Amino acid sequence: MKEIAIELNNVCVSYLHNRRGIYSIKDFVLKGGIFSPFEYKSVLHNINLTVYKGESLGILGRNGEGKSTLLRTIAGIITPTSGTCKVHIEISPLLALGAGLELELTGIENIKIYNALSGNFNKKTISSVIDNVANFSELSMEQLQMPTKMYSTGMLARLAFSSVVTSQPDLMMIDEVMAVGDKGFQEKCKKRIHEIKQAGATILFVSHNPDEILEICERGICLEHGKISYDGTSAEASKTYLKLFN
Amino acid sequence: MKNTKGYTLYFLVYKNLQLKYKHSLLGFVWSFIHPLFYLLIFNFVFSKAFSEIENYSLFVLSGLIFWVYFSGSCNQLSQTFIKNTHLIKSLQVKKILYPISEQLTELVSFLAGFILFIGLMVYLNLNVNITILYIIPIIILFSIFTFSVGLILGSLNVFFRDIGILWNTLNPALFYLTPIAYAIDIIPQEYSFYFKFNPLYHFLYIIRNVLHQGCAPEFYHSLFCLIITLITVIISAYIYKKTKNGFISNL
Repeated sequence: MKEIAIELNNVCVSYLHNRRGIYSIKDFVLKGGIFSPFEYKSVLHNINLTVYKGESLGILGRNGEGKSTLLRTIAGIITPTSGTCKVHIEISPLLALGAGLELELTGIENIKIYNALSGNFNKKTISSVIDNVANFSELSMEQLQMPTKMYSTGMLARLAFSSVVTSQPDLMMIDEVMAVGDKGFQEKCKKRIHEIKQAGATILFVSHNPDEILEICERGICLEHGKISYDGTSAEASKTYLKLFN
Repeated sequence: MKNTKGYTLYFLVYKNLQLKYKHSLLGFVWSFIHPLFYLLIFNFVFSKAFSEIENYSLFVLSGLIFWVYFSGSCNQLSQTFIKNTHLIKSLQVKKILYPISEQLTELVSFLAGFILFIGLMVYLNLNVNITILYIIPIIILFSIFTFSVGLILGSLNVFFRDIGILWNTLNPALFYLTPIAYAIDIIPQEYSFYFKFNPLYHFLYIIRNVLHQGCAPEFYHSLFCLIITLITVIISAYIYKKTKNGFISNL
């Protein structure tokens, strides 16, 4: 009965990386970058991962081990250097803090653009989305009509989070957003994630807090140096993660 | 998701226009005032010097508005990927849509100003007849050319930020090397050969055929513009294709 949602086969991702920090033509000449200014820096090696529909997967790992890159690969934003990445369900936008927010525009305009860019063009649904976001984020209409550059970090997080979770995505990817909101909002977010999960969505959750992973996910993976070092229950994955620091 | 590209473009253009004019009182009227201001300066400074050019104001105006469109677009396009870093990193939107939307935004404000300029041109004794419609294909071709130049600048600017700065530095030089405020006839014979390597010279030539002399664009120059555009499109497509996968790691 288990349907496959995401399939990664031997996925390698490498970045075209600027060797010796050459970011201008001056550096290019002075540091002798003429011969090879760029090199490939590998971020993910041979990732094999199968996620089933309705599963919730926690992704743990130290900073810079490739967690966000993994999410972006699944979201189709990065093309793998080798290997295949197949996603069989519809992807919602990647939820990262303040992603895509245009600071000069108001909250409402941002919600509209964000929705449009992720494929929702219907005027009616957009206006209901705005109401839902306003409700969920507890931001007043007055606040939503302010340019987002005047928002505090917490308010930005509320706006960003709300504009994704108020819909019912098939696949939700969350990249460390919980840390910013206040306690009340964090609880609300968790509750909402549980609801989305209950409705049968697949969830990929990146966090540095093993407790959150335990609360939300059944399965967990641990990334180390661009490889999956552990794949199993979230409880075991959390232990593996904590061991990294001892 | 296939036929949503049009909507996505529409929203990106909407966003760009909002960002561009939100905090300005006069809005798109600026795309009229900006060339007008230059026109007044040139008229004041040069009209006596280049008195052999017939209807000097119209001559300068027809060149100026296209120059402003060209340099403005290239300027915006060279920054387009950098400006949209957040979107590129978090949404699965075809990256080429960002420069296209930027170009469309510039085109919209150019056209808004252009309609007003047609009025001014008529006032300056432009002889209006059916040949003026030739300006439509010229604008389309010129936009494609501008877009390709901007795409090259934008793609390279992701890797070397000084491409944008370099462009801003060379911009005034290119302005004076292009026969906008003067006619090519005043350039000594031995140099004028090199001036003809400047694609903008050929574009301005056919634009002035239509908007200054009020006749159809000359065949040889039109063909040259077409070839130049084709070559730039191919080069920009090649550069964009080579560099686009490296954008995310360098933004």
